[in-house]
Amino acid sequence: MNNDIPLNWFLYFAAASFAIGLVGVLLRRNAIAVLMAIEIILNAANVNLVAFWRYGTPAPGSGPLPGVILAILVITVAAAEVAVGIGLILLCYRRWRVADVDRYDTMSG
Amino acid sequence: MASILFLVIATIGLATALGTVLSRNLVRAGLYLVAFFFAVACLFVLLEAEFLAAIQVLVYIGAVAILLMFGIMLTRDTMGDDTTAIPVGWMVPGLFGGLCVFAVLVVGINNSIAPSGWSPWEGTSSRPSIVKEEAEPGWVAERREAVNDMGRVIGVELMTRYVVPFEVAGLLLTAALVGAIALAHREDPDPKPPRSANRAAGPGAGDGPSTEAEEPVASSVSS
Repeated sequence: MNNDIPLNWFLYFAAASFAIGLVGVLLRRNAIAVLMAIEIILNAANVNLVAFWRYGTPAPGSGPLPGVILAILVITVAAAEVAVGIGLILLCYRRWRVADVDRYDTMSG
Repeated sequence: MASILFLVIATIGLATALGTVLSRNLVRAGLYLVAFFFAVACLFVLLEAEFLAAIQVLVYIGAVAILLMFGIMLTRDTMGDDTTAIPVGWMVPGLFGGLCVFAVLVVGINNSIAPSGWSPWEGTSSRPSIVKEEAEPGWVAERREAVNDMGRVIGVELMTRYVVPFEVAGLLLTAALVGAIALAHREDPDPKPPRSANRAAGPGAGDGPSTEAEEPVASSVSS
């Protein structure tokens, strides 16, 4: 049925969203916005993993779905990262009363 | 047909990603992020990984986006929305850096080199079939079973082939849970006296079991 989407399109989508997420990490100053941009980057990586799993020939002995398992692990790590990240941001917000990564400069000499 | 669907979904996804990055209001950025997650879930459906799409919706939209919303609501800057604006001077270097990374990735996608013995994936547009055919290699049948029955196959794989990564992920989640609670926990300004009394009694109470535990070890060694 839908065998007419080239693999490259998925890769272009993932590359574009990765670049957008990187711009977000570079440009935003609010810590939570930076966290959101990191989520965009992780999702772009997931799209790549699943696309290569679906189109590619698996290495011998790698099982039926290596890419999907790796994507699930990435989702797990992303969830843990957001939980810890939000905790850290709340802690810094309580201490300095700002959620701005520019102002967290206590350790810069 | 499917390619038109892909183009629509990808356009929505990229537009919402840009909205997340560039929108000034953080709540609006969070809602754009939800739309982006949903577009990625639609791409997973187009890639015939429906189980992963369901996980994406449940975990990202249901948990991560809500958690980010909580973070936004709890850290609203008291001095106004000053910090959410993008500084004008950073705009050009940031966009330039992003464009450079995108250009490098596109060059990499267009000039793929396959390992020896493998067909290059540049321009690949045909997938391994998920409809049963005659004379197919073994991994195609395996893949077809995995696509058509993904929930069961993922469970079996997680319990057999990937059991160590599964346990490590569980350990990571536990550690993240404990760490998040420890970080967000507000310390009491003055600890209560009963707690310190308990702590003083702690070492004395702890001595008894430890000496008892050492004795069986010594006896087992001697025997």
